[in-house]
Formats: sequence, C-alpha cells, structure tokens
Amino acid sequence: MASKSRSSESLFLRYLVLSAWAVFCLAPILWFLSIGLRPRTEIIAAEPIYWPTFSLDAWNMIWTDWPMGNYLRNSLVAVVGSVIIDLLLAIPAAYSLARYTYRFREDIGFYILSTRMMAPAIVAIPIFFLFRNMGLLDTVWALMLVYAAINLSLVTWIIRSYMLDIPHEIEDAARTDGASDLRILVSIIVPMCLPGIITAAVIAVIFAVNEFLFTLLIASTKNAYTLSVALANFTGGSDGIIYNAIALVAFLAFVPIMFLVVLIQKHLSRGLTMGAVKG
Amino acid sequence: MQDSMVHNSSGWAASAARPGIRPRPRSRLRRKAFPYLLVAPAMIFLLGITLYPGVYAMYQSFFFVRFNDWSFAGLGNYTKLLSDNEFWQALWNTFVMGAIALSLECVIAITIAAFAYRDPWVRSWRIMFLMPMLFMPSAVAFIWKLAFNDGRIVSDLLMRLGLIDGNLDFLGSIWLARLTLIVADVWQWTPFLFIIFVAALQGQDAEMEEAARLDGAKWRQIFWNISLPLMMPIVAVALILRGIDIITMFASVFIITGGTPGGATETISYFIYRIGFKTFNFGYASAISVVMLAITVTVAQLFVKRFFRSGRE
Repeated sequence: MASKSRSSESLFLRYLVLSAWAVFCLAPILWFLSIGLRPRTEIIAAEPIYWPTFSLDAWNMIWTDWPMGNYLRNSLVAVVGSVIIDLLLAIPAAYSLARYTYRFREDIGFYILSTRMMAPAIVAIPIFFLFRNMGLLDTVWALMLVYAAINLSLVTWIIRSYMLDIPHEIEDAARTDGASDLRILVSIIVPMCLPGIITAAVIAVIFAVNEFLFTLLIASTKNAYTLSVALANFTGGSDGIIYNAIALVAFLAFVPIMFLVVLIQKHLSRGLTMGAVKG
Repeated sequence: MQDSMVHNSSGWAASAARPGIRPRPRSRLRRKAFPYLLVAPAMIFLLGITLYPGVYAMYQSFFFVRFNDWSFAGLGNYTKLLSDNEFWQALWNTFVMGAIALSLECVIAITIAAFAYRDPWVRSWRIMFLMPMLFMPSAVAFIWKLAFNDGRIVSDLLMRLGLIDGNLDFLGSIWLARLTLIVADVWQWTPFLFIIFVAALQGQDAEMEEAARLDGAKWRQIFWNISLPLMMPIVAVALILRGIDIITMFASVFIITGGTPGGATETISYFIYRIGFKTFNFGYASAISVVMLAITVTVAQLFVKRFFRSGRE
C-alpha cells in the first residue's frame, strides 16, 4: 500500500515537472509562430494581443521587400560547401587519428580539438583582415571557409569516435586480400561509419546555419547575407524591427533543421559531445 | 563509455602490431608518412585559419591603428588594457552571466533528465525539449527582445499573475537586463545538456538500479547515490562544452541589449567587436584578443587534456 501511494505521488511529480518545462519550452515557440502569422499592427500594441487575426502579410513581405532568394541561396551554398570541405578533410584525419600510431598523434588530436575552444570574437579581427586582403569580404566563399574551420574539430572527433567502433578484423581481412590503406578507408571504413558521418554533417549544418559573428563581419550586402544575419536587418527604418518577418524566416530555417535532427535522433547526444557519450 | 575505452586501447595496439603481415610491402618511408599525409590537409587548413590570425593579432597589437595608418605603440595597447575599466567590467559580466546561466541550465537539465529517462514517453519528451536549440540564436534573441521589452509580454503575464503592479523596464536595470540574456540562454541551451544527460542515463546499466530498488531504495536515493555519480564524467564533458560556448555569448547581446545599461551586459566578445568594428581601434582590439587568446589557450589546455583523458582513454 505504502509503496503504491509513493510511486503514484512520484509519478505526479514527474509529470508536473516535465509538463512545466514543456510549457516553458514550447510556449515561446508557439507565440513566436503567432507573431509570424499576424499583421504588423498587432505585434506591438498597448495591450499585448494573445489571439491575433490571421494574416500572411509577413509571408508576402519577406518575398517582395527583401531578396529572400539570395539569402536562402547564400545560406545553402555556404553551409553545404562548408560541410563538404569538412568531410573531405575530416574523414582522412579521423582515420589517421583512430587507426595509426605515430609520433605527435596525441598533440595533433589535442590541437584539432582545442580549435573548438576558441571564441570567435578573439580571431574575428585578424580573420576579417585576412579575408579583406584576399578580396573575399562579402562573398559566400569566405563564409564557407569560416564555417568549415569552426566545425572541423567537431566533425573530425565525431567521425573518429565512430571509426574506433569498427572491429579491426574487417580491415585485416581486406589487407590480406591485397587492398591498399586508401582503398580500405574509402570502400570499407567510410560505408561502415556512415551514421557517424551523417551525424557529424547534421551537427555541422546546425552550427553553420546559426553562425552569427563572423557572418556579421564578412557579409555586408545581399551578396553574402545569410538568413541568420539577414533577419537582424529586418527593420523598416522608422517602423522599427519587423518582428513578423523575422519570425517567419526563423521558422523557414527551423523546419529543415528539425527534419535533419529527427533523422539522426539516436546519434544526437553522441554527436553533441564529440563522441564522448554513446546514446 | 567503458566500451570505447577498451576499443580504443586495443585498437591502437593492434594496428601498431599489424603492418608486418601486409602482402604488398611498401617502402618504409611511405608507410611511415601515410598517417601524417592523411591528417595533413586538416592540420594545414586549421593552422592557416588559427595560426595566421594569432600572429597577425599579436603583430597588430603593438600598433595604434587608424584605418591604414599604423604607428608603433610598443606595449601601449596592453598598458591601456590593464587600466581600462570597460575591459574588467566586460570580463566580470561574462563571468557572472555565464556562471548563472550555466548553473541554471545544469540543474534544470539534470532534473528533467532524471524525470524523463525512465518515462515511457521519453522519445516524445526529447523531441519536444530539443526544439529551442534548433532555432537560429539571432532569431531567438528577437523572440526574447520582443517578449521582454518591445512587446511587454513578460510584464503582462507577471501582472496577470499578480506578481508585479506595473510594466518592468527589463533593459533599463542592470540585473533585469542580465536576467533577460540569461533567460534567453537557458531557454535555448538547456536542451543541449538535457539531450546529453538523458542519453547518459539511458546508457547506464539498468540492473544495478533494479538491484537497489529490490533492496528497498527509493528512486530519489538511487538517483543521488548511483546514477548521478556514475554520469559525472559525462556531466563534466557537457559542462565544459557548454561553458566554452557560453563565454562567447554574442548574438543575444548584439540584438537584445547592445551592452546596455551602462555596459552591464557587455560580454568580452561584444567588447572586442565594439572596440574593433564600432570605434575602429583595431590595434587595441587586437591586444584584447591576444590577452583573451592566452587565457583561452591556457584554460583549454587544462580542460581539453582532462576531458581527453577522462572521456576517452
């Protein structure tokens, strides 16, 4: 009897806590969605409006008042390009760190990892001058390189962690059959750690889409504005900040990312800890 | 995690012992160079994009820079830094807001993870709770700017609950402005810790818990005495990663407060940005960068090494 009442009590507490957090998590999202779907006059009113009239004003506005096509294309090119660069560099590097023993391996691993610890603001000024001297300011190429650099440590370490899980016997067998090391990497290791590679790519995409500081410094026109920085410029002069347009753009970026994350759900925790936790 | 440690050590040992059995022996030099060649492109890229800026910033920090006009300053920028109240204030703000946000996030994430991981609906909770993390931080900053300040939603809700009498000027007072940034950070990034903690708890041996339960332990005792101590290494890793990101807080400061009131919410990242790109005092901004770089490298070295050891080997 006693134990039964205690467990139902703890069950009550459990759902109380979890639903309280769910409300705090989701209410701002729903409310922000309602901002995106209401007319401008109802965003900032004398009395906050919780049940607005439905309106697609913002949707029409983002496509007519701003070069949304450019912003989308810039985000897509810079982000996808950076992830491709990351994978091309990280897969061999991860294989080297996971499978070979050699001098300086630990130091190289540390160094790659420690680039993750660097605050963007600290290198922002020299990077700005670097790209200015290369004539790459306000181009998606500069963004691509920066995003690739930001994510390379993470991508390398995630893939390395998945490579460590592959049993050695498989490679040994292939090696006995005369396959070269490079061949083994391409046709055995890469397919086998595909979940890890996809996880790393998805997490790199999230961080690249979110990037703000470097993009703010590098991009100055629609040539290079990405969604993340473009929405910070959604102001109509004397009208102030155009919140409903910002909200819609935020959801425009959120939907595909949510889709990607659901795809790698099981691997998310492992990816976020750079391989330290196996989810 | 136990698993990975075993794999790890045996893996390295095995690959070291194997080369002898290769049927097609290659030249020794090529075989020795191969792992370096694999890692070289990544290294060169990272060195290019971190070492060059490091050296450049160090060089520039010895000059007073006004657009293209550089004049040698010696240690001028550094001595200025030591006596610059704005610098110390920014350092303090970063620390205070970071420490409060990180503690809140950690406590909340552990609590909801402890409740969620044994729930039959844990997958739904996870999907629901991770959503805030997937919005662009710049957009999130606008959500909270509107809620706290421009749209007065938070004030309105608090008034409806009878907690306050009039509108609160959230961006007008030091602690309310800081609170705004902290709430924005907690809302967006508690999910990061939650996802990791839930996975850690789910990965734990259920039998040990079951045995303790059969011995009459309450779930609260089990959590505090068994589950939590077991996941401490993972908590450490997660807090380090989150801590690093929190001290680089920029987008929300840029969008919500701009460092106001009176510099009370200016973080180091925003301070460097302001000195460099608003007052165009690049030499001075570089000096701050160099000092921060030195601090980061030292701290990272300590943390990374520990993280690397405890987490992987």
